[in-house]
Amino acid sequence: MTPPTATAEDVRQVPLIPPSQHRWAEVIHRLEAGGSMLPDTPENLQQIIGIYKAYAVPMDFYWRDLLYIAERVFLNPLPAFKYFPSQAYLDLPNSYAGDQSKLRIWRGGEKAHPELLEFMAKGETGNMPKVLHHLWHDRINMEFAEACMQAMLWHQGMGGRFYDYLETEAYRANADRAIKTYFRNNPLMLGLYKLFPEMFMEQVKQMSYYANLGLFWEVMAPVFFEMSDIYDEGGFKGVPDAMNFLVNGIFAVAGRPIYHHVYVGDECIEVIPKSEGFTWLYEAALPYVEAVFYRTAPFRGTKSYNAQAYQVPADQADFHYGILYADVFPVGSAGIPPTLLMQDMLHFLPPYLKEMYKQHKRGEEDQLIQLGITFQRSMYNVTSAVIQALRCALLYPLDDSDPEHLMANRRFFEAQMDRFLRPEARLGDIQNQDYR
Amino acid sequence: MANIIETAKAAGCFNTLLTAVEVAGLTSALESPGPFTVFAPVDEAFAALPPGTVQTLVDNPPQLARILKYHVLAGAHLRDELVIQPEWTSLEGAPVAIRRAEPFEVKNATVVSADVTCDNGVVHVINRVILPG
Repeated sequence: MTPPTATAEDVRQVPLIPPSQHRWAEVIHRLEAGGSMLPDTPENLQQIIGIYKAYAVPMDFYWRDLLYIAERVFLNPLPAFKYFPSQAYLDLPNSYAGDQSKLRIWRGGEKAHPELLEFMAKGETGNMPKVLHHLWHDRINMEFAEACMQAMLWHQGMGGRFYDYLETEAYRANADRAIKTYFRNNPLMLGLYKLFPEMFMEQVKQMSYYANLGLFWEVMAPVFFEMSDIYDEGGFKGVPDAMNFLVNGIFAVAGRPIYHHVYVGDECIEVIPKSEGFTWLYEAALPYVEAVFYRTAPFRGTKSYNAQAYQVPADQADFHYGILYADVFPVGSAGIPPTLLMQDMLHFLPPYLKEMYKQHKRGEEDQLIQLGITFQRSMYNVTSAVIQALRCALLYPLDDSDPEHLMANRRFFEAQMDRFLRPEARLGDIQNQDYR
Repeated sequence: MANIIETAKAAGCFNTLLTAVEVAGLTSALESPGPFTVFAPVDEAFAALPPGTVQTLVDNPPQLARILKYHVLAGAHLRDELVIQPEWTSLEGAPVAIRRAEPFEVKNATVVSADVTCDNGVVHVINRVILPG
């Protein structure tokens, strides 16, 4: 009897590198096989796509209003109407959707989404003047968008060169020009600027982060709408497909300029000109993921953190309060940023998600928490896309035949997973479908 | 001998790179005395990027220039000199890692043809577009 010989198939199946010994080895091997941190199940796919749709509608408001505030409201000392973007901003053509777009890879219209406009008109209460909707808090919760912007401002050096630029003489000179032009008919504010120049500078920096986040989300809104449309047409076979769509999207717009223009009447002051070369990937997307998904801040109103008992880290770099770590149950309380987003998404849930939430836990009673956990799953998928995009940009293909390259990929994935060794990380929870 | 731009034109496999350099307004810089070291991605390297990537950059010359400058070092450095040091500062400002000497690898790209000497510098042909980070 001749001994069995290895077939070509067997040879292919011999792994070129040994298995990972990391605590999250199972997830690492899935990433190495082209998957996501989120397990590939039909329900996970349905949950994440449904929530992307529900997220895209308020996001269409967030980016428009963020740009409106950065460019028009600017340093208004009494910005009572900053959440009332002008019609021009509701009609502002999205740079990556609509026929006027130079890069027409996602469908969708250029102006504010019809579901958003319908909600802005009616809200939960019915047709009322805008100001009553606002006072009754029956509106899109822009406070959530501002909390994300503040997280980016506060954590500062999260990669890219944006924050460093805010410290340069060139930026200060541009900001100075913007302040003086904006207040040219307001001697009181100009007097205050002379007395407290740094306070005004800090406000302009914050405005630059408004612009940064607005330009970031301007891209994400059409991406999420497109994903929902593709899913409705039966286009995604699984979670990895959805992740790869995001990876391609990240590359497609990586070079999109990040800038801050201020308009005083018809005059445009380029506080951060496009010619600085700041890009969507390096100056907006990566700092956003780091500051918002991972770090943010302990949310006031969820539970009482006692800083003196070291419940809040002394080192800001140890802050890990982002969605990837959040305990969504206490987060589901009124008035705090993550719940504001969940409330926003609740208005635009696709019917299949509403039905799903009714069938689990306490049904409609705790659907804010259920959708929060869906959102957490979906953001683990977005983070997976960012990790795979970075691997693709800086390292090697998953099917590379060089063991040294595969080990470099392995070290990168393991370093990323090290961030989920913290006890608060929800990576383990999302592996289980019963986590709702 | 020809300069970097002339050498790239003569090679015939850098059409995308040459167009990008032109759009970014860097042609005259690469025709100047320099000298420079250029890691030049072949056309296939640009074609391998996901759809839209190159178009977005071409639509935005300052951003394109930043990525292209990441492929350029000041001074003319041959392979033997480059492999001595693990990192070199690019004209973009971010470091370019020399990951391996044999085969010669720059960042995650493999050098398919090293030490193409020109009037104003050296070109190393690479099989992938390299990105800062």
